[in-house]
Amino acid sequence: MPTPTLTQSLIIALLQAILVVVFIFVVVPLTLYAERKVLGYLQLRLGATRVAGSLTGLTGFVNRNMWKLGKVPMLSYWRGIVMLVGDVVKMIIKEDILPTKADKFVFFIAPAISFCASVIVFAAISFVPGTLFVLPKFIPIVGGLPVSGAVGDVNVGLLWILGIASVGVYGIVLAGWASNSKYPLLGGLRSGAQIVSYEVPLTLSLLAPVVMSGSLQFSEMSRSMAVGLPYWGIVPQFLGFFIYLTCGFAETNRLPFDMPEAENELVAGFHTEYSGMKFGFFYLAEYINMTVVAALASAFFLGGPWLMPFGLHGVLNPFFTAHLPAFLVPLLCEPHAIFFVVKIIFILFVYIWVRGTIPRYRYDQVMAVAWKYLIPLTLVNLMLAAAVRYLTV
Amino acid sequence: MKKFLKTLIPFDIAKGLTITGTHFAKVFLSANRRKVPFHVVSEYPEVPAKMQPRFRGRLQMLKDEAGEIKCVCCLACEKICPTQVITIESGKKEGRKTKLPTRYDFEMERCIFCEFCVESCGFDAIILNHQFELAVYNREDMSLSMEGTFQNMFGVSPVAKFSVADEEK
Amino acid sequence: MEQLLIKIGQNLFLVFGLMALGGAATMVLAKNAVHSVIGFLFAMLSMAGCYLTIGAEFMGVAQLLVYAGGIVVLFLFVVMLVELSKSREKGLFQRQTPFALVLVVAGAVAFVGVFWRTIFGSSAAEALTLSPNLMAQGEKLGNAQMLSRGLFAEYLLPFEILSVILLVALVGAVVLAKTERV
Repeated sequence: MPTPTLTQSLIIALLQAILVVVFIFVVVPLTLYAERKVLGYLQLRLGATRVAGSLTGLTGFVNRNMWKLGKVPMLSYWRGIVMLVGDVVKMIIKEDILPTKADKFVFFIAPAISFCASVIVFAAISFVPGTLFVLPKFIPIVGGLPVSGAVGDVNVGLLWILGIASVGVYGIVLAGWASNSKYPLLGGLRSGAQIVSYEVPLTLSLLAPVVMSGSLQFSEMSRSMAVGLPYWGIVPQFLGFFIYLTCGFAETNRLPFDMPEAENELVAGFHTEYSGMKFGFFYLAEYINMTVVAALASAFFLGGPWLMPFGLHGVLNPFFTAHLPAFLVPLLCEPHAIFFVVKIIFILFVYIWVRGTIPRYRYDQVMAVAWKYLIPLTLVNLMLAAAVRYLTV
Repeated sequence: MKKFLKTLIPFDIAKGLTITGTHFAKVFLSANRRKVPFHVVSEYPEVPAKMQPRFRGRLQMLKDEAGEIKCVCCLACEKICPTQVITIESGKKEGRKTKLPTRYDFEMERCIFCEFCVESCGFDAIILNHQFELAVYNREDMSLSMEGTFQNMFGVSPVAKFSVADEEK
Repeated sequence: MEQLLIKIGQNLFLVFGLMALGGAATMVLAKNAVHSVIGFLFAMLSMAGCYLTIGAEFMGVAQLLVYAGGIVVLFLFVVMLVELSKSREKGLFQRQTPFALVLVVAGAVAFVGVFWRTIFGSSAAEALTLSPNLMAQGEKLGNAQMLSRGLFAEYLLPFEILSVILLVALVGAVVLAKTERV
């Protein structure tokens, strides 16, 4: 395989960045849609089944008769998807209001910081170790070169993710301050305090995979947590997984920890004064952060891009290679980006599931959970991980 | 210690997640396949809404089996009405022992749907039916009387396309 | 094209350094305190970029994690809640200006002196080259591993003493901030 020149590798990196953005803009709107439907199902509702004007048109006619028969029309499962377009269009064409007393520069830059920080994180996330696909020969400059599964799989990848994610808090705090209003300021302060304090247990719980794999590189950690051990990372790290997930909920300001936008106390928290696409950036950033947390969880605890669960790799792979037809072997034994994405989607589902189940904590309870329970637990968990490492290596 | 352990091991959270997860699975898998669906929402504009029996909708006068108006003009409803939306004029009819209303006016725009009139009626001559779609285009349509082509005291209003189930129409 | 890109790649340190200087200038010159915190944040991010360009990934990311993610947030918290528009507080800060200027000049002289000695003095050659055994290790192991080996194997005692000092500062802050129980 030829070594790519600088130009070629830059073009490939650009291509990867475009792929990541496409991935984000496919997954995030689908999560929005799924949030409506899944929340509905969890509460014995049907979620979004129609948009306005359902009594007109052919689908409306078909649907009406199916409803009368007592059936849920099959189309209606999908008809809520029009709402996606509606959401996006609304965000784009809505009037962008700038409060008179707001600090214009900070008010403008806050959503940008929030959004950029959450997207840049994806640079270090490796969807599959090694090559994702090889570019076909006929492409002019970069034909025949491999595209790796990560934009930049640097050897401090995990720290990069944590560092950039911690920059994201500026967006929220600055937005609260720049709005020059009481509710956003309180929301921003709360959220800043919450994110800064939950960063501690989050980082500590991610230290356990670091200890067990002995690396900070994302793909290496993912590989050794999935197939380096004879079982998935979740088996020795059961405690760590749940601590990580809890901190992930808190870090992305989701229920049951959505302090910054506690609707019944603070109107909408830090983005009360925002509207239009600036609000849209905050909205997108929240969902991208969710995806990042889900990606970390699936890579380190749920076996990443490998299919076989719970250590069946070691047991079943020799069997597969011996007895199965040749085209099935790479699918079952080799890592694939698609399994990684499926696991991400599962964690996103868990997000919505928890949101539909657990009511919001009080603010002092949120802080107490972080400092009094999670941090000691993570320390215990870290010792557990060290013991596993000591026994296996 | 027990409290500490209870906080540490989230049994209640697991229980809640189980319940909602079961709901999700049931609705997701059976939304279209069962006669009685698990989901509790009604498909309102396409299917007439089923109201609860005690729902208080619009005031309606009843007739007996012979087609006679049950009202005997005792004026109990007119007196008890807190917003005084009912006006009754009594008259006589041959072959009927009791009095008969010649006018029974009901100003719906001021009605507060308290059901005092129905409770005070000793002859079960009026009810509040299950019609909740009461919007009209003209203000005059809000005042109902015994005659009247658009809507009157005896039937369900034509604007109530979806609200009242078939057996009440 | 290729040559141009390589040229840019070689001079990225300069680019990030100029960006850091710009951020620092914003921090000093901005009228609004929050704007200067944003300038500070920008300078810190650019410095992380500087570290990354000279191949010190761990230092760069630690800069990001500690300074940009932790310390500047605390700055921001303090600055946000102190309103400097009141004239009395402004006066307080303006009275400090001459003393501050004297201190800054003294510090700058000392700093430039040390810098001059290090770069152009007699021991310059020794200070500016990495010791060969560390260099070999670094190429073999990577940045983070080498640093951790230095910190936790060779210089463990100074490291632990440093952390004790930090702990003392923490306890002192708690004692100072604690209110008397009535």
